[in-house]
Amino acid sequence: MGETFVFWVLAVVSVIAALGLVFSRKAVYSALMLGVVMLSLAVLYAVQDAPFLAVVQIIVYTGAVMMLFLFVLMMVGVDSSDSLVETIKGQRFWAVLAGLGFAVLLALGIGNAFIGPAKGLAAYPQNVPSLAELIFTRHVFAFEVTSALLITAALGAVVLAHRERLTPKLTQRDLARQRFKEFARTGRNPAPLPGPGTYARHNAIDKPALLPDGSIAAQSVNRYVARYEKAEGTLPPEVAQALESDSEALELEKE
Amino acid sequence: MTDTITAPTIEYLLLSPLLVVFGAAIVGVLVEAFAPRYLRAAFQVPLTLLSLVAAFALVIFVVVKDGVPNKAAAMGAVAADGPALFIWGTILLLAFVSVLLIGDDFVPSAVAVPGSVEEERAVSEGAAHTEVYPLVLFAVGGMLLFAASNDLLVMFVALEVMSLPLYMLCGLARRRRLLSQEAAMKYFLLGAFSSAFFLYGTALLYGYAGSIDLSKISTSLSSVGGQDSLLFIGAAVLGVGLFFKIGAVPFQMWKPDVYQGAPTPITALMASGTLVAAFGALLRVFWVALGNLEWDWSPVVWAVAILTMVVGAILAITQTDIKRMLAYSSIAHAGFILTAVVATAGAKQNSLALSGILFYLVAYGLTTVGAFGVVTMVRDPGGEAWHLSRWAGLGKRSPKLAMVLAFFLLAMAGIPLTSGFFAKYAVFSAAVSGGAVALVVVGVVASAIAAFFYVRVIVLMFFSDPAADGPSIVMPIATRGVVGFAALATVVLGVFPQPVLDLASKAAQSLFVR
Repeated sequence: MGETFVFWVLAVVSVIAALGLVFSRKAVYSALMLGVVMLSLAVLYAVQDAPFLAVVQIIVYTGAVMMLFLFVLMMVGVDSSDSLVETIKGQRFWAVLAGLGFAVLLALGIGNAFIGPAKGLAAYPQNVPSLAELIFTRHVFAFEVTSALLITAALGAVVLAHRERLTPKLTQRDLARQRFKEFARTGRNPAPLPGPGTYARHNAIDKPALLPDGSIAAQSVNRYVARYEKAEGTLPPEVAQALESDSEALELEKE
Repeated sequence: MTDTITAPTIEYLLLSPLLVVFGAAIVGVLVEAFAPRYLRAAFQVPLTLLSLVAAFALVIFVVVKDGVPNKAAAMGAVAADGPALFIWGTILLLAFVSVLLIGDDFVPSAVAVPGSVEEERAVSEGAAHTEVYPLVLFAVGGMLLFAASNDLLVMFVALEVMSLPLYMLCGLARRRRLLSQEAAMKYFLLGAFSSAFFLYGTALLYGYAGSIDLSKISTSLSSVGGQDSLLFIGAAVLGVGLFFKIGAVPFQMWKPDVYQGAPTPITALMASGTLVAAFGALLRVFWVALGNLEWDWSPVVWAVAILTMVVGAILAITQTDIKRMLAYSSIAHAGFILTAVVATAGAKQNSLALSGILFYLVAYGLTTVGAFGVVTMVRDPGGEAWHLSRWAGLGKRSPKLAMVLAFFLLAMAGIPLTSGFFAKYAVFSAAVSGGAVALVVVGVVASAIAAFFYVRVIVLMFFSDPAADGPSIVMPIATRGVVGFAALATVVLGVFPQPVLDLASKAAQSLFVR
């Protein structure tokens, strides 16, 4: 009774979710719908006396695979949409036809099959210990060879995605040397820019630093703030004057 | 269920060739992790070659020590029998010569965008992906296991272990990189589809027989009734997965693209080793698991064999890329071998057909590796001279090389005094005695069509004038050795095939373990 009840509730939920998965326009919604389908399946497994399968379904599929889907979606960009241009003419029609044909064939075939009573549960009353026994005795070789698969996957990911450093990494010393060489060549200031507000009454971002003689250090003026203030008409005249004397800053401001 | 679990028994000696190959692959990964870049190739090449030699020696040692074994090792997961050991030896030999072909065919940095500054810098810095060696070893290990798996689960795992490194390796060609990456993508997607089909078939057959053991599926054919649709759908879907791997029509689409795009040594490995392994697995499924169902599957395999031979031979004629042409020729050869797969009847006939297939696989494998070896030697400034028009007049420019290639092509066409003749003779005679005369007629016609395009290349090489800016010939010592060895094997198997035929029939005598 309970099993039937759970089945009918989950059947409705999972079919709706599956339809949503196929028909929703946004990829994230599809992924979440897939999650719902997987969770319903997990509950069905649990109800069918397969606790191991239920837990694996949740941990591996809902937990790991779904998260991977979402990671990929986020990396590609949630907003990016697939190109729906058909490269082969009439592809969609034939794909639908072949898909439906195959589905009908399978449904008829399997529907006609007589499925006998389950043998596994009677032979192995305890689900998880029995699986453990099979994995570590009869199927131990397949289990161990799977490690080759995992190593290959890891190695393949490294080959395809790892960028080996071909030039030596620049140290602090190299960077400093580079800065001073550039100073010698072009006269570009090797020191960091002065922060706003030094020697001034405030240290807010829009207050330029003052030099020891009380004039404004043009380099400390935040160009973005200055540009905004100019557009608003609130740029202090002494700042505008300081910037005028610095041709580089003016160019930047004109940008 | 008992409270204590008895530890599984593993026959380490019987499995030693597999373990050596996998072990060497893992050591190779460790070398990648810990050795400095300039030393890696110096470690990897000898490690790979030595492990393949050691595994080959162990195969021989196993047979010499206790005779041809006939048992299911590792709790019934791996079949150690005559055909398995013969196929292991063949795969190891073919893998050895394919590894020797590896030269400068691989991309220096797979992550660099094709044609980018970064790629140029990787080239000038002399970067190299020495990871290809462990990847090749993993693929070879998968091939060995695929051909010797005794249940469908191990077969599936082996299929993946074999395919996954190959998907990777296909995308690592140094030249024409976009084509190579496209090939890898296609192979990966289609391969994933076919693996899914294989797994689905496994599930359905399990539903039918209640077991994934090949022998138990076979015995349940007579004891389980009323679930025929599960059995038939399962067998058909499983067949899709296997036919995909041998590249039989209508599942051949990937072969030309992948063979063309992959680095040529990897193409050689796929055209020889993968084909051998896939036939080993195909035979196990159709002869051991579904052996008693022969009346039902043999018409399908008949049709597939006819289609494969005819489509492979006819489409090869229209090709202008030498690697694509060899790919279609490989499809046609898969069809020729299939003629013997359907020729089953009784133990004696089966072992005749099996020995024919085994001989064919050795002969074709060596010839095709040699042919791809020649392809790597003929170079344009931008890499291999792939277009057939570039091969015009090669006979005048480099007569020896052209003669060797012509010889390989004649062997593939099945001209007497080459290994191809006896190979074709072996499978066709087995097919005739198995009652598949019509199939043999189609096979002979397809061979004649195939001979046309082989001869066309030969005519092009010898009877047309070389272009002024024709391709140059690059002959690294290892490649020269491989091509020489393949040519020698093709001659010896064509003139004096008896020892190998004897070996094949000895291996096939006790058939597959059940």
